[in-house]
Formats: sequence, structure tokens, C-alpha cells
Amino acid sequence: MLNHMSDIKKNPYIDVIDNLDVGYWKLEKDASYWSTAFIENLGYAINEVDVELDFFINTLLEEKYRNLFRDNFFSLVENSIDFSQQIRILHKSGEYKEYICKTNDSLPLDIKVNSNFIFFIEKKHKTHEKVRRSNFYYGETAEMTRTGSWYVDFLKQKSYWDHESKRILEYPEDYLPSLSESHKYYAPEHHQLAAKLFMDCAMGTPFRTEIKMITSKNREFWVSAIGKPVYNEAKEIVGIRGIFQDIDEQKQREITLQRTSDIIGSQNSRLFSFAHIVSHNLRSHTSNLELIVRLIDSSETQEEKLELIDSIKDISGSLNSTIEHLNEIVTIQTQTNHRKEEVNFLRTLNQVKKSINRIITTSNVKINVDFSQAESIQYVPAYLDSVLLNLLTNAIKYKHEDRDPIINIKTYIVDKKVFLEFQDNGVGIDMDKFGNKVFGMYKTFHYNSDAVGIGLFLVKNQIQSLNGDITVESEVNVGTTFKIQF
Amino acid sequence: MILEKKSIELACIIDDDNIYVNLIKKIIETKALCENLVVFNDGKQSIDYFEALLQNLDQKRIPDIIFLDLNMPVMDGWQFLERFTKIKNKFGKVITLYIVSSSIYPEDINRAKSLETVEDYLIKPVIISDLAKLFGKAI
Repeated sequence: MLNHMSDIKKNPYIDVIDNLDVGYWKLEKDASYWSTAFIENLGYAINEVDVELDFFINTLLEEKYRNLFRDNFFSLVENSIDFSQQIRILHKSGEYKEYICKTNDSLPLDIKVNSNFIFFIEKKHKTHEKVRRSNFYYGETAEMTRTGSWYVDFLKQKSYWDHESKRILEYPEDYLPSLSESHKYYAPEHHQLAAKLFMDCAMGTPFRTEIKMITSKNREFWVSAIGKPVYNEAKEIVGIRGIFQDIDEQKQREITLQRTSDIIGSQNSRLFSFAHIVSHNLRSHTSNLELIVRLIDSSETQEEKLELIDSIKDISGSLNSTIEHLNEIVTIQTQTNHRKEEVNFLRTLNQVKKSINRIITTSNVKINVDFSQAESIQYVPAYLDSVLLNLLTNAIKYKHEDRDPIINIKTYIVDKKVFLEFQDNGVGIDMDKFGNKVFGMYKTFHYNSDAVGIGLFLVKNQIQSLNGDITVESEVNVGTTFKIQF
Repeated sequence: MILEKKSIELACIIDDDNIYVNLIKKIIETKALCENLVVFNDGKQSIDYFEALLQNLDQKRIPDIIFLDLNMPVMDGWQFLERFTKIKNKFGKVITLYIVSSSIYPEDINRAKSLETVEDYLIKPVIISDLAKLFGKAI
């Protein structure tokens, strides 16, 4: 029955088709012939199949394609109506294989034959391979670049993650991402940012940002995230599609670099203000010296000259003290590499109090202390000494004349950083006038005869040299509060 | 015109550097540049003086010339200038103001020279003969 092959092979076009390994049927008036390739592609031996339409339709063809195929078949045979149909045929392995059936007319080759042919072009095999290959490349790319992708479906109220997303975020393969709790995938300080980006994207604004995410094991890391709204045919937004790439290593490097650059920047600005101070403070002495020399030159009497020489002593004295002050600053600049130690706040304060015990008792100072939030800190001991000494003597020096000084000192921690707050009830500083000068060198705002204007300048330099900062708030006649971030 | 210029009776120095003030005093005395001298150690003391003067315009106590330092405690030269500019036309007398500072920063010099109240900017140390010229005397 299948011995028809020799007939068909007489047609050279059929040769071509045979070589292409495409199975086909040749339909005669009262019989159909199936090509060997057709049978073998389905995994059967030639004697395992009945070359009958009924057998094909009832046994090999998947049920849902049967009616349409039968209709198409008879239209072709009886009325020569060409067709093209997608079908699934049972393979010997038990799985269905996907084919496209095409008749003569829809073939790329113009085969002039009298018989009707149905060609069975296997579809699934090739697309499958392609998808598998591109899936492989996609997977490789995702893994190598540590990029996860996700989709939020607004209609189904569901979110989907790919394999890599789960891997990066350290969730198991069968994890179902939560849409209602999606904020938990972001670091707490970025919850708001994430929510805003999402809302904006749902309104139609795509985003591209760097944001901190958090894994199931509570590890925080930086990602570069991109999200775009997904539209349906009616141009309505039905979801958001996005990718995120783990860039933690780069980001950490960038942060370190930024920190280094900040340190260099602040050192540079300290150096600059130091140069400014040096030139200004030394200049005032040298100009006095020069003026004296001119005066001596122009003096007529010996007596006058001797008198002037006397005032050179004064200049020499103040020049000396300026140099000493500058020396202290230079020491700070070079001492930044000094050993940090665990320094106890209370112990340091007690030492300082002891050293100025006389002033404390004579001025009736009351000091309230709360170091319970942070009892000690890694710091250069001499600097903490200097900070507390200067703030304490300042608070006493500038106490309010109507009341005894009360000083509140406390420590606390914000964002893993230790802060010290130093509050007094003294005369206060007019911040509108002097706000930007409080920490300047030789800046004094009061008429106290012992105001030198070096203490707070030194304190600020010491704190900044260890990457901290000091700020001040004050109200005249109420008091002053210094805040130090170590 | 120059010959008609009135000699200066009262000069005012606003400066916190006592050594400098003493030297200027000495120059003014020995060169007899003016009759009287009033000295303030910062801007606050001097503006208090000028504002009080407005209540009782005693011409003898209004200086003809002011030498103002910039860097001073409590109230610096800039703050003094701001307050002084508001009242300087109420004294019925031309008060010539010079800034005398050891600052050689262009920002300071340009800022001072841009102010209408400031006649000129002198860099310390002052040259004695230049100072005498400001008092209308040649030595």
C-alpha cells in the first residue's frame, strides 16, 4: 500500500521536498499516500500505522483539531480548496508534536502536480530549540550581570520574579513574591523612595535609579533599578515591568571614594582657612613691627627711640602667643593619625572637672549628666579632653549674671553615630549676628577680659580632623546648645 | 580749594589692637596731626557712641575723620559700617571714613571700596607721611 513512493519520486520537485525531510500526504481520488518521512518523523515504523484518514483522525490527531481538519481535508479533496492549519499529532513517545499543515498553494515552491498534497511542517521542534537557546543566553546574561527581572500585573494583582531575582534576593525557587508587602524588599530608608517610584510608574513615568534592597537574610545591598509601565491595546497601564542589577560592589567602592574625597575636601578647606589665619594673624604683628621701625627712624630724640623699642617687647609677646596658637592647630592637623582608644565619657568629664575644680565650686555650677545611651567611644583621648574642657569653661565663663550655671550633658546614638549634646543656661550668643563666626579663630562676642577666641576654633578643628562635626544653637539670655557628632 | 580745607579737630580710631592704637596715638601726638583723639576697641562701643551723639549733637564730639579696623570682636568693621551708613547724614558734618586693616584679601578691599561710606582702604602698616596727608598736613 505504501509502495507509491517510486511514482512520486518521478517528479523532481518531490525529490527536493523529500530531501527537506518534510512529511506529506499525496491525495488521489480514492486513496491517500503518506510519505515515509511523515511516518518516521512521528517515531513510528511503517507497519505500525494504518494509512487511513479515520485512523489518523481518531488515533493520531489531538481531539480538538479533528473536526476542523476533517472539514479542511474534504474541502481540499472535493473542491480543491487550499488550507493552512495548525495541528498536534501523537508521537510514538506519547507526546503531541505541533505541525502546520499546508497545501500546494501555500508552499514556497511552485510544484505543478496534478495531485493534492498536504505537507506537515513540524513547528514546535524548531521554535522550542530557539526559545531554549535564547533562554539559555538570557539566563547566562542575567546570572553574569546579576540582573533580576520582575513583572507586576495590576489586573491579577500579582507580582512575578524570574529565577535570578529570587537568587539575588535570597528567596527559594518556589517563593511567591508579595505585592502588598513589596516594601519589605527595600531597605527601610528607601521605603518611601520605592513607593514613590512605583506610584509614578503606575501613572506612566518610567524610572531608572539606584536604590538599596534587602534580601530575605536581611543583607542590604545596592541595585540599579529600571521600571517601565506596561500598556494594553487600549493604551491603559496594566502592569509594571522592570529589572534590577546588583551593583553593591561598585556602589560600595563609590561610597568609599566619596568618603575619601570628602575627607580630602575637608582637610583642604581646613588647610585653606589655616593659611588664611596664618597670613592674617601674622600680618597684624608684622605690620605693627614695621610701623615701629618707621617711627624709630623718624624719631628725633634718643628718649623717644628707647620708648619705642620698649613696645617691640609687646609685639614680640603677642607674636609669640599667636605662633603658639598656630602651633596647636598644626598639631591637630598632624595628629589625626593618633591612636584612637575606647574613651569613657564620664571618666573624661570627671578628669576635666577636677582640673578646673576651683572655678566650678566658686561659680556654683550644677552639671547634669546622662551618658546612658553611649557610655564610651573610640576616640583620641586628648581630643575628648579638650572638647569637654573648652565647652565647660566656656559655659562657666559666659554664665548668665542673674542665675547659677546649669549644664546638661548627654550622649545618644543616631544612625550608628554617637552624638554629644552640651546645653547651658548662660548668656547665649546672638546667632543672627555671630552664627557663622562662633567657631572662628580670635572671634569673641563678649566683653570678658579673658576671652581669647581660640577654644572653640580648636575644638572644631579637632572634631573635624576625626571626620565629625560640631554645631551650635543659641538664644540670647536663654542659653547655648552645642551638638557634636563624633 | 585745598587751602580752605578745615584742619581736623577730632579723629576717631576704632581698633582692637592696642599696640597699633598706641603707635598711631604717638604719631598723631608727635606730628601734631589733630587736637583730640577718641579710641574704641570694637564696633559696638563706637556705634553706641555715635547713636548717643544723635540725641545731642555736640559738634565738638563729632569726629571729622574715622579710622576703622575690620577684624574686631563683638562687632566687626562691616557690621559697624552697616549701622553707621544709616545715620551718617544726620550729624550735619562731613565725616570721612577710612578703613585701616591688615587684611590684604582682594575680597575685603573690593568690598570696602564699593561702599559709598568708605573714602579709601589703607593697608597696615600705614605710612606715616600718607597718614599726615589725610589730616591735611605735609611732613
